[in-house]
Amino acid sequence: MSDPEPQLVHVVDDDEAVRDAIGMLLDAAGLPHRCYDSADEFFAAYGVEQRGCLVLDVRMPGMSGLELQEKLREVDAALPILFITGHGDVPMAVEAMRRGAFDFLRKPIDEATFVERIREALDRESSDWRYKVDQRELNQRLASLTEREHEVFRRVATGVANKAIAAELGISERTVEVHRAQVMKKLAARTLAQLVRIHLLLELPLPR
Amino acid sequence: MPDGEYDRLETLLKNLPGMAYRCLNLKHWPMDFVSDGCYELCGYHRHEIESQQVLWGDFTHPDMIDEVDRVVRSAADRQGAFEVEYRIITRDGAEKWVWERGRVVDYREDGVAVLEGFITDINNRALAEAASRRAEAYAQAIVDTAIEAVITVDEQGAMESFNQAACDMFGYRPEEIAGQHFRRLVGTRFYSDLDRYFQQNRAPFRGPPRGIELDGCDRDNRYFPVALSIRRIPESEDGKYVILIRDLTEQRRAEKVVREQRDLLAHVDRLNTLGEMAAGMAHEINQPLTAISMYAQSGLQFLQREQPDLEKLGEALAKLSQQAHRAGAVIERMQEMTRPHQSRRESVDPAQLLCGIRELAEVEARLHKFAIQLRMADTLPPVHCDPVQIQQVILNLLRNGMESMRAANCGAGSRIVLEATWGKRKVRIAIVDSGLGIRPEHQSLLYQPFASTKESGMGLGLAISRSIIGAHGGRLEYVNNPGGGATFSFDLDLSGDE
Repeated sequence: MSDPEPQLVHVVDDDEAVRDAIGMLLDAAGLPHRCYDSADEFFAAYGVEQRGCLVLDVRMPGMSGLELQEKLREVDAALPILFITGHGDVPMAVEAMRRGAFDFLRKPIDEATFVERIREALDRESSDWRYKVDQRELNQRLASLTEREHEVFRRVATGVANKAIAAELGISERTVEVHRAQVMKKLAARTLAQLVRIHLLLELPLPR
Repeated sequence: MPDGEYDRLETLLKNLPGMAYRCLNLKHWPMDFVSDGCYELCGYHRHEIESQQVLWGDFTHPDMIDEVDRVVRSAADRQGAFEVEYRIITRDGAEKWVWERGRVVDYREDGVAVLEGFITDINNRALAEAASRRAEAYAQAIVDTAIEAVITVDEQGAMESFNQAACDMFGYRPEEIAGQHFRRLVGTRFYSDLDRYFQQNRAPFRGPPRGIELDGCDRDNRYFPVALSIRRIPESEDGKYVILIRDLTEQRRAEKVVREQRDLLAHVDRLNTLGEMAAGMAHEINQPLTAISMYAQSGLQFLQREQPDLEKLGEALAKLSQQAHRAGAVIERMQEMTRPHQSRRESVDPAQLLCGIRELAEVEARLHKFAIQLRMADTLPPVHCDPVQIQQVILNLLRNGMESMRAANCGAGSRIVLEATWGKRKVRIAIVDSGLGIRPEHQSLLYQPFASTKESGMGLGLAISRSIIGAHGGRLEYVNNPGGGATFSFDLDLSGDE
């Protein structure tokens, strides 16, 4: 796994002063950030490896905040979005939240709340990101199991006894034990409890 | 009388354009001799008259017979001659003017006078004279009933006649003003204007009257606005002029009322416009306020660090102050538009005018993601106008244009052009949109107050805009663009030209 990208607060606002002021506020709070003067500029620079969160003005010339949110959803981007708006536009806020916005703040913004919400968004992104990384690693490990090991793993993790597994699969109990050891090794699980947890994380379907 | 001589007389009488007669001065003047001309004059033959089957008095118009009788009787009493004009009724019922001259030639034993004379047809002359008299009476009636002062003057400008309206307007009686120069009727400071105008209008002139406006001055030295025109009286050989003076006091008062109402309505429209723009305005003020608040908060943080970052704090404060001015400017612009103001014309730089109003209109443009493109010549001469009202017109037109572009589903970034060009002593302002254009069925309603095709809006904007441009001596015009959308335009006078 390569080194993770650092988390950045991406600020998109067409108003130069507001953009600059947000930048200074983030500076003061010690949060690294990058500013964009349009949604188009941000989207052009966007890549899936990017980390952090997005502070997004709703109404801008060119692509609007909501349009950018939609486009990011299409490419499965995981950046939490904090919308800021100068308009008390309730339907728009509802729509943004329904589409999974992290928050919707009205200008002028209470700075303490703003910074706090940004930190929360970054935390959320962080855990999402870790979860995704874990998920990816687990999936890679899972892929290394043979079909037989897979069958044994699913039964062990859902509490089926070795004897029952042997009977079900029509193999000897001894062979089940060998497969089980192999599964534990490949999935880096030291105890049965860890194996069960991995199974839950992977959200695999229960064996029939 | 020798025969030959008699024949000559007969020939003479026959050829006379009229009728010779001899009669008795009795009721209806029985005639015993008439010449052949009688037939042409009254339609009766000689023998009918000479046999006294008909009497001359039967033809004489009943309205006039007493007058004729009076004249003839008086001549008979004096043994003298008489001359009279009167109407007769001819055999076919027509009325005819005749002129008669006669005298007493003898008296019968019983004292009745014998008259001889000549009667001739003057119908054409009489009609012409009557027409002339009627025309004169007609002209006099017009002069008498005119609301305008009608004054006639001679070549030197000395007043000769002064109608009733002139008496009422200036407070003079005709006899006390007669012979004075008509300059007396205007304020002293207009003497030279008036003299020049009189000089220019001495020649006979048939076109429409060209008047001048100045202050009249009445008997009590009170000044009042008047329009005055002079025209040479046609066919007056000795050079007579007629002067017409109209009192403009009422007109000026009415104009003032209209102007005040227009200004008031314009103000209402500006308030209404800004009301409609409230959302955009709030945004416009909210932006700097957001920045101000953030700069302040950042500044606090820099200050509260263990090692206060004074450089950063200074930067935050400087930027904060800038944004405070920005918010102030928005409010200032708004106030300019909403402050009730006495309409006044001044010399204005068109570039400044356009840039100022574009900023305000951009509030709206940003909401719809349209761009206002300003196209101006590098240098534009100053114009003479009421800047607030002209900006109001431009704002109205820009907002209408953008509204139409929205209705036409113009995409983000679509442009509306605000253009200023100049030439022919005018600066032309044009607003070119790419919206729906003006549909033929809306053209008649276009300038009608309260007739709006939009869902919201009072429908006052265009009516007021047109009235404002009209008050500036221009015309608000529009044309549909070949490529879609409409162009509204108007001209402003250059200052120094007014």
